[in-house]
Amino acid sequence: MLEITGLAVNYGYVRALTGVDITVRKGEIISLIGGNGAGKTTTLMAVSGLVEKQQGQVRFKGADITRMAPDRIVQMGLAHVPEGRKIFPSLTVYENLIAGTVGNPKLDKQQIQALLEESYALFPRLRERLAQGGGSLSGGEQQMLAIARGLMMDPDLIMLDEPSLGLAPIVVEEIFELILKIRELGKTVLLIEQNASMALSIADRGYVLELGRVTMEGPGRELLNDPCVKHAYLGD
Amino acid sequence: MEYILNQLVNGICQGAIYAMMAIGYSVVVGVVGMVTFTHGEVIMIGAFASYYAFEMAGNHILLGLLFSFAAAWLMGACVYKICYERFFSAPRNISMLCTIGFSMVVKNLAQIVFGPNQKPMLNIVDNKIYSLGIVQISTIQIVVVITVIVSATVLSFFFNKTRWGIKLRAVSQDKTAAYMVGINVKRTAMVGNCVGCALAGVSGMLLSIYYQTLQATMGGSLGMKAFSSSVLGGLTDIRFSALGGLCLGIIENLGITFSSASFRDIFAFIFLILMLLIRPEGFASKKGARP
Repeated sequence: MLEITGLAVNYGYVRALTGVDITVRKGEIISLIGGNGAGKTTTLMAVSGLVEKQQGQVRFKGADITRMAPDRIVQMGLAHVPEGRKIFPSLTVYENLIAGTVGNPKLDKQQIQALLEESYALFPRLRERLAQGGGSLSGGEQQMLAIARGLMMDPDLIMLDEPSLGLAPIVVEEIFELILKIRELGKTVLLIEQNASMALSIADRGYVLELGRVTMEGPGRELLNDPCVKHAYLGD
Repeated sequence: MEYILNQLVNGICQGAIYAMMAIGYSVVVGVVGMVTFTHGEVIMIGAFASYYAFEMAGNHILLGLLFSFAAAWLMGACVYKICYERFFSAPRNISMLCTIGFSMVVKNLAQIVFGPNQKPMLNIVDNKIYSLGIVQISTIQIVVVITVIVSATVLSFFFNKTRWGIKLRAVSQDKTAAYMVGINVKRTAMVGNCVGCALAGVSGMLLSIYYQTLQATMGGSLGMKAFSSSVLGGLTDIRFSALGGLCLGIIENLGITFSSASFRDIFAFIFLILMLLIRPEGFASKKGARP
């Protein structure tokens, strides 16, 4: 579904990514783990068309999206739930959800209503807060809203950047359960996480990114038991 | 007391026009992400567009409104293409400086094309004075207030109930997040800029009807008044900017009651300075938003 080959990104004179190769197949949960500054967020930003790529190619559903505009990429069915949630604080919860659909002119009223119902089923708490300003939600609720907004785009692939960042452990568990439910809805998930043990435990496959390069890859369970991964990311 | 009450009514009517100017200004600042110096000139273009519409087609206020809206929209598109789109990735002060240059060019061209002197606005309504007890209100004031209320209602519907409204609000809150939900940010920012300018154009028409005069150099002080009014809303909050405009109109009219009419513009600056001293971030708030 998503093929990233030889991706290189520079920030000025600093090289953030060097020849990154990642493949995501339909229906998979792929976890991308790595330390701060490893290039995880940059990888997602590059796929979404939000940062300029110096080298490499990104193909989504067979089409080359390397130089495609960010809004066109979303319309093709690739949603990006960014780090720090980035919900619209002055828009209500309902408007935030609708904002997820405005970029896709193909969605009609019935489809939007069906997507709303799907979001309410996944996130019942949002239904109770529809008229509340997005900025007044708790951190966990904001994260749920950000994911729900991503799902409102009716994507084939959803990229989640640090969904557990800054959340209480109980909420983190809830978020990871939701990621599994999202897969059950037929969506493919590309997940970036600092919480490597949880991310790898739910992943079909995982990639380890260090200093802008993929240094390891393999099935999630295998990486979870790898001594190097254990030492570097699991505190063993 | 009677005089003060009448000045209060005048202030509300004038403030209603300022409110419209300020709403336009807030929309522009919200979508382009910086202050603009072309707003006054857009107001002036709107005023002249309605003047020529009345001159050519007779005294039809709706036609004037349409012309001023369209001319200002077109001007907004030019401002966006010349001052913003070309410099989207450049440091923001380049665009800001560009709006200063653009405003100077338009102001001087307008003096060549329309002439440097004041023009009397055509009488588009039969101006009668109605007495409500000790308060007097004119037909022009009624027309102005009704136009502002209708425009504000349409605008409120547009911003809150339409897909474009949500797109514009999303872009003015967070452009990166807007990209991430699939919004074409550049096109939306251009439409937002045009909507804001169109409102400025309509307020230009209303001001020239209200004062019965218009001039190519009228934009300078009006742009500053739009800016002063929107400071109340931290430049981007539409409701507080409208309130700022209303307050400014009332302050101006009550101010000249106790001083001289020639000091009218001074009150806008005093209002701006006080606002910047008391609450530079405006009253619109992040109230409700968690840190």
